[in-house]
Amino acid sequence: MTEALNIQGLTFAYPEQAPIITEISFVINAGERVGLIGPNGAGKTTLFLLITGILQPTAGRLEIFSRPVKSGVFYPAVGMIFQHTADQLICPSVREDIAFGLQNMGLGNVEIQQRIEETAELAGITALLNRPPHNLSGGEQRLVALSGILAMGPRLLIMDEPTSDLDIRFRRRLIKLLDPMNDQTMLIASHDLEFVLETCNRVLLLEGGEIQADGDPAEVMGNGSIMESHGLEVPHSLSATWHRHRNED
Amino acid sequence: MINGAAVGSAESGSLFGRWETRLKLPGLIILVFSFSLVQDLRLLPLLLLSSMIIYRLSALPFTCLVSRVRLPGFFLLAMAVILPFWSGQTILWQFGPLALRLEGCISLLLITVKFIAIFMVVVALFATTPLPLLTRTMRALGIPWLLTDLLLFSYRYIFQLSSDLRRTHTAAHLRGFKGISLISLKTMANVTGSLLVRSHQQAERVFQAMTLRGYGNGDQALPEFRPVVADYLLLAAAVLLSAAIVLAQIFI
Amino acid sequence: MHIPDGIISTTAAIGGYAAAGGMTWLSLYKIKQKYGNPRNGIPRAALLTAAFFAASLIHIPIPPVSVHLVFSGLLGVVLGWFAFPAVLVGLLLQAVMFQHGGLTTLGVNACLMGLPALMAHRLFCLRSLFGRRKPLPNAILAFLAAFSAVAAGAIMAALLLIYATPAYFDAAAEKTAVLTLSFAHLPVALLEGTFTAMVVLFLLRVQPTLLEADQK
Repeated sequence: MTEALNIQGLTFAYPEQAPIITEISFVINAGERVGLIGPNGAGKTTLFLLITGILQPTAGRLEIFSRPVKSGVFYPAVGMIFQHTADQLICPSVREDIAFGLQNMGLGNVEIQQRIEETAELAGITALLNRPPHNLSGGEQRLVALSGILAMGPRLLIMDEPTSDLDIRFRRRLIKLLDPMNDQTMLIASHDLEFVLETCNRVLLLEGGEIQADGDPAEVMGNGSIMESHGLEVPHSLSATWHRHRNED
Repeated sequence: MINGAAVGSAESGSLFGRWETRLKLPGLIILVFSFSLVQDLRLLPLLLLSSMIIYRLSALPFTCLVSRVRLPGFFLLAMAVILPFWSGQTILWQFGPLALRLEGCISLLLITVKFIAIFMVVVALFATTPLPLLTRTMRALGIPWLLTDLLLFSYRYIFQLSSDLRRTHTAAHLRGFKGISLISLKTMANVTGSLLVRSHQQAERVFQAMTLRGYGNGDQALPEFRPVVADYLLLAAAVLLSAAIVLAQIFI
Repeated sequence: MHIPDGIISTTAAIGGYAAAGGMTWLSLYKIKQKYGNPRNGIPRAALLTAAFFAASLIHIPIPPVSVHLVFSGLLGVVLGWFAFPAVLVGLLLQAVMFQHGGLTTLGVNACLMGLPALMAHRLFCLRSLFGRRKPLPNAILAFLAAFSAVAAGAIMAALLLIYATPAYFDAAAEKTAVLTLSFAHLPVALLEGTFTAMVVLFLLRVQPTLLEADQK
């Protein structure tokens, strides 16, 4: 099985400050969809910035598809959706915005247009292609940002709070969009535990810069004692099972 | 990117931190103007001495001065290259086409010392006065509210917009943006345009929120003005020193 | 171009303050005339001032040096009569936060940047003659506005440095110096003009209301 992400002893601290990430080690295999959960300030976003090479680790090893991460090197195999989508939208039209990464990959015009059409079709935003992304609704902006990344064909897709400020309809659209991507390796940080439950087949619990739990989403998130000790709650759809378990004990 | 904000309240224990801003601001401004008036070389030691004493009084670390001198220092460097070789007739030393001129050297000395003296006083002033306090003081001193409001709100959003801008750059890098250069001018223009559009959209929301909380109805309260004797003594010292420098410049 | 403290004569510094005061008064008068209650314009002007401030911290490498954009033209185009107070506030913030520029020279610097900004605004207003939403006239006028704003700023600064510093140049040297300083700014002016035209084209497509400082 191919290793998509291999992290060994990863530590990160800003100069003269306590570490934000402390000696984390884990491996994500190709095709896995991993949910990253944990309270606010657990180090989720910092971890993403390390994986994407924006921050330099203080110590440890970080490999993506057996290739060490070098900061400042463009690597289209990794795509990231930011929590604040507006930070990601820079071009005057949706079409140009999706094209932005493709042009930087050095693709030809025909292929760029083809990829734009395909991705827009997939995300259901074809009607928005000629609109300025800045004036779209929050949900539409999220789909545009995602299209801009998906068009580049990332082998590892990273999403930071993809459902924050989405309404129920857009949230459902996002789940339906991600659901059939069976081979797509994903790493999703979210407070929306139901969303993690629906989209992921593995979950990592991060708190205080350390991995506290790693396993099947229903098992980890259904375990009330683990969840509560890290300031989280068992999602509703699992809480009935958890209470039944506890009563049986 | 932005970390030059007032070291401010942290230093408020010093004599300068406690000096009533409504007296400190005019006092020090008069002083730096008197510094800038100096043309007589013999007054330069006095300038340096008084600015050093003032900097001591502010109890700021020396590093504070060094970290801030870089930007304006660059300008001074350019003057140092130009003045001694092109300004004046009296040639001190000639090497081929290059001639070191007396008048230029004198000008450079004058400019450098005045720059350093004023710089120390200005750092002492601003680093011990947090911007919101400075703004309210300016308002109390009669600066139009349109300017002070503009100052306060701009200051409020600079930090946020800088981090917005930084995140946008990061996002662009992840999609292969090669960094700032002449070639990527179009992307930079797009990034700048996006920043303006987002600021504009946010301004609408900020304005609505502010109106809902009564912005525009009546003036904000001004800071209390409770000077003690020491405040006036410091002002008097600053004014006397300024007057002495001006008189010395005129009559010596 | 920010002139630091201690370099120009006190007369020039005070003259700069007087001129800046007059321009601010005129701007505030015009703003009141236009907005009725000028407070309505403040959040917008403040956020845009902050945006310009943030953007002007970016440096572009033009080997062998790196320059940062002045934005005087774009500021005028977007802010209209708010441009002068915005420049004043931006410079004060730079002086307070980074000691960039100076305190005695605040008035002079505000004029060096603010007057060209207002000029750029007037120049850009000419687009109403050619069709306000047509890209080509917008781009050309934006280029001209920003180019001439930088050029005017550089020439004014050069004149000031020659005539208001304690330097003794002969007439020929003075002329050479002014010409050199102005020509040295030519690449910057070209860059600024091109950049401003690009931003204006962006705004025209995305949020044309941002370019309507000339309209009520």
